[in-house]
Amino acid sequence: MDLWLESAKLALQSLRVNKLRTFLTVLGNLIGVMFVIAILSITQGMTKYVSEKVVDQGSNKFWVQRVGIVRSWDEWVEKNKRKEFTMRELNALRDRGTTFKQVGAARMRNARLKHRNRAVAGINVLGVTDDHPEAEKYPLEAGRHLAAPDVEHRRFVALIGHQVKNELFPGLDPLGRDIRIGPNWFTVIGVAEKQGNVLGEDRDNFVAVPLTAYESQWGTEDNLEFSIQALDATVYEQAQDEATQILRSQRRVPPGKPDDFDLLTAEMFMQIYNNFTSGAYIVMVALAGIALVVGGIVIMNIMLVSVTERTREIGIRKAIGAKRGDILRQFVVEAMILGVMGGLLGVALGVGLSKLVEVLSPLPAVVQPWVIALGLSMATGVGLFFGIWPAMKAAKLDPIAALRHE
Amino acid sequence: MAEVITSKADPGTNGVLIDVRDLHKVYHLEGEDVRALDGVSLKIHRGEMVAIMGPSGSGKSTLMNVIGCLDVPTSGSYVLNGHEVSRMDDNELARIRNREIGFVFQTFNLLPRADALHNVELPLIYSGMPSGERKKRAAEALASVGLSDRKAHWPNQLSGGQRQRVAIARALVNYPSIILADEPTGNLDSRSGEEIMTAFHRIHEQGNTVILVTHEPDIAAHARRVIRVRDGRIESDEKTGG
Repeated sequence: MDLWLESAKLALQSLRVNKLRTFLTVLGNLIGVMFVIAILSITQGMTKYVSEKVVDQGSNKFWVQRVGIVRSWDEWVEKNKRKEFTMRELNALRDRGTTFKQVGAARMRNARLKHRNRAVAGINVLGVTDDHPEAEKYPLEAGRHLAAPDVEHRRFVALIGHQVKNELFPGLDPLGRDIRIGPNWFTVIGVAEKQGNVLGEDRDNFVAVPLTAYESQWGTEDNLEFSIQALDATVYEQAQDEATQILRSQRRVPPGKPDDFDLLTAEMFMQIYNNFTSGAYIVMVALAGIALVVGGIVIMNIMLVSVTERTREIGIRKAIGAKRGDILRQFVVEAMILGVMGGLLGVALGVGLSKLVEVLSPLPAVVQPWVIALGLSMATGVGLFFGIWPAMKAAKLDPIAALRHE
Repeated sequence: MAEVITSKADPGTNGVLIDVRDLHKVYHLEGEDVRALDGVSLKIHRGEMVAIMGPSGSGKSTLMNVIGCLDVPTSGSYVLNGHEVSRMDDNELARIRNREIGFVFQTFNLLPRADALHNVELPLIYSGMPSGERKKRAAEALASVGLSDRKAHWPNQLSGGQRQRVAIARALVNYPSIILADEPTGNLDSRSGEEIMTAFHRIHEQGNTVILVTHEPDIAAHARRVIRVRDGRIESDEKTGG
């Protein structure tokens, strides 16, 4: 133990003599560890954020869409040949489903909103049934949600997102006021709480109106989608099967042919998200890995220089009684200290970078202790791995020749 | 100054500290065999002060390297303080050098980036002595060469004579069986050289075995016995007045 401590002291001493060189030597490791920490922390923060946002609206719910998720142009073309959903399918789901708690329907489009002389464009207008999750998923800041009578009686009422309120009604209470969407006037009955962004989707930029009112204005040309909530978690899968069967028979899909609609679940969103991020993630970690390897090679190079520079010192130490192991340990410890120094600086900067991203974006960075431990052990490992060869060279030096070295 | 430094006595050897028999050392250089040592035999007793002399190329340095356990002979036997060292491996030789031999070099060979105390501590670090005891022993050894007030000085802050005294303190600190000095005054002015030789005399008087390797008759004259080496053989081995 004493000898290790001694080696560490010696190493620190010799590194202190060459501060600039030491810093340049650890730079590669520093960058590598910094990116490993930042990447892991940011992606974990992202995953946590997304899974909370996606899963919290998806308790036992799934969605049915005509097109669903498209991964290629061909797929998009193919899926757009599918038949539109109609209210007949909604009614069939409602009448024949045995495992559903709720079946909702929605259509959506982008539109321009006006209140007096103020206007906002690019607002997501949703036409929903009262039991569609979009109609009630957000907690309210004021007013009420859309209700069954609003849909039944085709009332021109609207629930608005937080941003819509801010842009159309600055300093005003929007409740009871009218907004114009296209040719019609809708009365604001509720305002949703601020939701923020999920994966670039602005969740405050919407207006929800009764589906009946929506269709009386824009007809049925916009895609209809259904949302189904299962009775409970135990029949969640069964509910998906049941919905598939009902829709296949309604849409007369022959047995053996694939479904002409897509079922989407919160789990699928998560999976798509994970597939997307893991690709990016592997690339970034590989880049960080390259930085670490380059850092290791720099350490090896500097250690080789150091061994040559200190050949005489090695000779003296050997003459005085240092064994091969003592010399080996001295240089390995020095290389490991170089690794650890890079690692520590990298951890500090990596955590800093994560926090910076957290401040500058809505993503929360999650810096977990194991990530720091991983970064540090990678850095130490790099030092150890790339330090061994120069250290072995030093340990094997012949004391007589080393003493003669100028 | 009054510090008495005693050698480790090994009772089984009748006072013979170094017993070299028929030592050969052959180097293969460019396909040619160079016989650096060609049948050297000699005995050195505990407490002797011996000078090994010889011109360059005589095999003097090779003999010193073998006696100093920095090198092993091609054949022959070498018993140091009861240990047969001629067939030892690297690590065993390192241990013997650490325990039995104190080197003093012509170029001092101090670590440039360590203070005097740390330089003297070095052999004790490799024998695994705990830090507290080590510092005490190193301070004592520095005091014994009159450098108590230079503990925290770096080699480049010391004169040549002082550096060599630090090196002597380092050689003495682990109570070795022999002090092996290779041209110890070669890089010093004559006044410092005399100081150093006085120091060797005192070390010898305290009961230590001192071997001086030199080509200067003036230095060899300090010894009680002079061994002359030529062409890898012992040319003469005579007691002198000292």
